[in-house]
Amino acid sequence: MKILILGAGAIGGYVGGRLHQTGTDVTFLVRPARRQAIERDGLVIKSTKGDITQKVKTVLGAGEGGPYDIVMLTPKAYDLDSAIDAVAPAIGANTTVVPLLNGMRHIDVLSAKFGAGKIVGGLARVGVAMGPDGTIHHTSPFAAISFGERDGKSPRAALVAFDAAIRKSGVDGGLHANIVQDLWDKWIMLCSLASTCCLMRGTSGDILEAGEGKAIVLETVEECHKVATAAGYDPGARGMETVRSFLTREKSMFAASMLHDLENGAMVEADHIVGDMIARARKAGIATPNLRLAYAHLQVYLYRRSRGGIGKPAR
Amino acid sequence: MKILILGAGAVGGYWGARLTQAGIDTTFLLREKRAAKVKAEGLVVKSPKGDAIVPVKVITKGGDGGPYDVVVLACKAYDLDSAMESIAPAIGPDSTIVPMLNGHAHFAALDKKFGAEKVAGGLARISGMLGPNGEILHSGANGVSFGERDGKPARASLVALDAACKKAGIEGGLNPNINQDLWDKWIMLGSIASMCSAMRGTVGDIAATEDGAAIMVEILEECRKVATAEGFPPSDKIVGAIRAGLTTPGSKAVASILGDMEKGGAVEGAQIVGDMLGRARKHGIAAPNLRFAYAHLQAYEARRARTGGATK
Repeated sequence: MKILILGAGAIGGYVGGRLHQTGTDVTFLVRPARRQAIERDGLVIKSTKGDITQKVKTVLGAGEGGPYDIVMLTPKAYDLDSAIDAVAPAIGANTTVVPLLNGMRHIDVLSAKFGAGKIVGGLARVGVAMGPDGTIHHTSPFAAISFGERDGKSPRAALVAFDAAIRKSGVDGGLHANIVQDLWDKWIMLCSLASTCCLMRGTSGDILEAGEGKAIVLETVEECHKVATAAGYDPGARGMETVRSFLTREKSMFAASMLHDLENGAMVEADHIVGDMIARARKAGIATPNLRLAYAHLQVYLYRRSRGGIGKPAR
Repeated sequence: MKILILGAGAVGGYWGARLTQAGIDTTFLLREKRAAKVKAEGLVVKSPKGDAIVPVKVITKGGDGGPYDVVVLACKAYDLDSAMESIAPAIGPDSTIVPMLNGHAHFAALDKKFGAEKVAGGLARISGMLGPNGEILHSGANGVSFGERDGKPARASLVALDAACKKAGIEGGLNPNINQDLWDKWIMLGSIASMCSAMRGTVGDIAATEDGAAIMVEILEECRKVATAEGFPPSDKIVGAIRAGLTTPGSKAVASILGDMEKGGAVEGAQIVGDMLGRARKHGIAAPNLRFAYAHLQAYEARRARTGGATK
């Protein structure tokens, strides 16, 4: 089995590095500067699960080195279009695309481009970041990816083989029998957290200090819950309780990474994480007043960013 | 007539500098640090109406040079308690206090401490801010409004203050319906302060988004309903003018509270937004947008307390 990974960034670099380390045939599709660095320094991983520096295969174009059985991509949602263009030459008749993105909208976009049959569901839960020198820092105790058939049927041979490779690599997770539910579960959590942290510009704990903070958080969770339920993916009472209790811990220092991006003037996945939830709510006739405010907040940020107004006085 | 102004920020400083220039007997009551700077350098005013460096009279204790006929409070709402302590020695039997604070919450405290008959209504329409060297950067609006809160004919000191303003080229002045004017300003300020702070952008930034202008209009409507329930319905003309101002595409207008937040400073969230929301609740008026804005401001305060005002 041959795997192509788009980019050798945080998640792709870590998972691909572990796959390569354990003998799976992995190729990284990278830009020239990244290829040069990897050829010079190797792919460097510093991890709670063990450091490793290794030579890996890289290509500059997806047409090279194929055909591939699995193409894994982990772009930010706002880079999805360029990611699609980059991997397109690698997608053959028997290729399976494993996107590891939050939210759901990318699945529609990928399906429209490559055909729904080629696109499986996938999720990453890896606490990992790339340093300025290209070193991949894996600092958390967990590193998992999950993937599976979106229709819940028995997995195709490529996914079974991918699952075996992942198990061998020491990355947790693997095949998931109900990956779409998993996607919705994570999206509910992420959308609620990102919406409230950004709208209130604080940690989960800061929000709870506001008189109505907890109520606003719980309402927001419920808005997302209703959208998931209307789509046929209610996480159930226990699943929802997990989300609620996580987001209502007093003094919690937890914050969405989107808030960090907002405060650093970076791009944010506003349309993908919040806007698309609202669009699905609208279609299902579900009112989402809090998500609407959060999305407006994010749009104000993006507009102000586009006019060069972040980090300067508003006036 | 002798005027004492507490505070030499954008409002008090600008107003007092213009009064002084016009020959009106005006004194500033300032904290030690600000007093020393203003005594040494005068009040430095940069304004479309003319730059000036104005030597002014400064005291640091309210008992000096008094009693005063008019005592103007030009402080932030969160400094009200210390401001009241500071001016107390300056208040004689015939003094009138003219508070220029935003919102309404300060009246109860002032009435209790000094007696309602000593407290007039007042508000500023002076736009500006303090520069990094304490200079007053005046940016346009140049008006004040004050008057008797019971609507009766104005006392002599307010009539004199009105004449002084006219002489100093300050617009507005004595207003026979100051309570209405206070509410008219508050609904505008409640809307723009809520939105600019909670959305973290200018009026133009907000208007550039899908629902931004709609949310702005909703929050103005929430404030309008509160003012109406309190007995001060704004005229359609006023509401129309505010609505137009707060939904203008490309507008650079912004509430000063946003500048304070982006520097990690103190904010008047409780007085401008929290009190409006509290009154909405009291009257059974649904105010979902004020609610979220106040939550935003409270989360800001919590984070400010936790981090000491760090902005990231």
